[in-house]
Amino acid sequence: MNAQNDWRVIATTEQLNVARPVLAVTLDNRPYVLFRDDTGSLGLIGRHCPHRGADLLYGRLEDNGLRCPFHGWHFDRTGQCMEQPAEPEGSKMYTQIKVPMIQVREIGGEIQALISQSEALQ
Amino acid sequence: MISKQLNDQITRIGPGSDAGMVLRHYWQPAALIEELDHGDKVPVNLLGERLALVRGANNQLILATRIATIDEPATHYPASKDILIDTLGPTYPVAERKGILFAYLGKQKTPPAFPNFDCFRAPDSHVFAFKGLWQCNWLQALEVGIDPAHASFLHRFLEDENPAEGYGKQFRDKAEGTNMPITQVLREYPRPDITVDETKFGLKITALRHMDHGLTHVRITNQIFPQAICIPMSREMIITQWHVPVDDETCYWYTMFTSFAKPVDKALMRAQRLKEHSLPTYAPLKNRANDYHYNPQEQATQTYTGMGLDINVHDQWAVEGMGRVQDRTQEHLGRSDKAIIRYRRMLRAAIAAAAAGNVSDLPMLGPEAADITGPVSNDAIADTHLWQDISRNADMTRRAHCSWDATV
Ligand code: FES
Ligand SMILES: [Fe+2]
Repeated sequence: MNAQNDWRVIATTEQLNVARPVLAVTLDNRPYVLFRDDTGSLGLIGRHCPHRGADLLYGRLEDNGLRCPFHGWHFDRTGQCMEQPAEPEGSKMYTQIKVPMIQVREIGGEIQALISQSEALQ
Repeated sequence: MISKQLNDQITRIGPGSDAGMVLRHYWQPAALIEELDHGDKVPVNLLGERLALVRGANNQLILATRIATIDEPATHYPASKDILIDTLGPTYPVAERKGILFAYLGKQKTPPAFPNFDCFRAPDSHVFAFKGLWQCNWLQALEVGIDPAHASFLHRFLEDENPAEGYGKQFRDKAEGTNMPITQVLREYPRPDITVDETKFGLKITALRHMDHGLTHVRITNQIFPQAICIPMSREMIITQWHVPVDDETCYWYTMFTSFAKPVDKALMRAQRLKEHSLPTYAPLKNRANDYHYNPQEQATQTYTGMGLDINVHDQWAVEGMGRVQDRTQEHLGRSDKAIIRYRRMLRAAIAAAAAGNVSDLPMLGPEAADITGPVSNDAIADTHLWQDISRNADMTRRAHCSWDATV
């Protein structure tokens, strides 16, 4: 496979031109959520929260990432957990938590995902 | 994270399954009494079995097996005249308590005694029962109820309502001894200190939220083995809620609202809930198919979920969004999940005891069950160093002033 063929179109820039740019994406039968953070960068991460599996499609788009409405775990666009606001003060557990993430790029009004990475995660 | 095998063991409930065997040792809510208006046969879909309420010998209500096709929807609710009884199938005893028809699907000759819980001993005038459908496995539904942390997030109101308008709704009251609505306490103090104690009936869960000025919010909730919770709703009422499997991927919540003060305004409570559900399946009008009426604008300014003010919808979204059976091979439990971890340990111990035939090792199956009272469920705000006494006294006071015998 050549590298160019690994990029698959998953959405258009147009689709994210809304007040809350968050979109469900399915790749190889796996659910993901695509969002634009406060800096304008895109993130494509697993749709189920790694805590207890809540649906991040309904996440709160805030603080430069996506926050799970169930217990407030917060993820940046790479899927890295940044905060666990219900865990005890000083807990570092969040540093160990990462949602599966797929690389994306935006070219000419299209948003593309690097598919080989999703296969690598299987 | 747990293995797929363990997840299957603690979630699956059909005949012959491990968790199903444990549930079958206990009375299970099977229908609301108002469903008897359906006719002389009333469909009941319970624990993966296709059943119907019928009148047996002496006109006694029993659950009989009904003939069903394999592809019947989980909550299929045929007309009374279309129900065919399978006379070779098992039948089960039925008992009514406070508007709920309970059934015993176990194999012991005598079903267990009902504990003397507040919801069972209060007079009919002080208990209101209702149910609702969730499209997911029963265990994830139960686990939300024993997770004291989520209320600070999932049910967060970015602005508080007037507590005087909150009759019959969760978290709308003022915390005992203050002018702070509970919603404000939950929002401002999101990291509860949780302790879990094993009791005769299951688990007692204490969540402490240490506030400013040396005060602590104390919330006591309970897990009643195997699949119920008992939690405070307001100063006047508590909630006892069972999570009852229809099949592996569908469940009903059955709730009894019990009042320590005035008789329950059942007409109002029923009307509030009928507005949100469709009969005869009691399916919520807000659901996955219509995005739970999710409104991003509301999520930005009013509620944490953007799904309205009804906290039942928030819980429903949380558990249904996990998938029909939560994939616990992918979960990462934290300190806030203490009670869930303890509960799973109890369930596994019960599975092992039941498999070994040591039925008396399961909670509340001996004759002493009939003497178990409470459980104490209560919200209070206290001086931090006195929280134990103040929390206890707050509950004892409402029990002492109760018109029915609520002594514990
Ligand atoms: S399930 Fe997402 S924070 Fe708990
Ligand atoms: Fe809840």
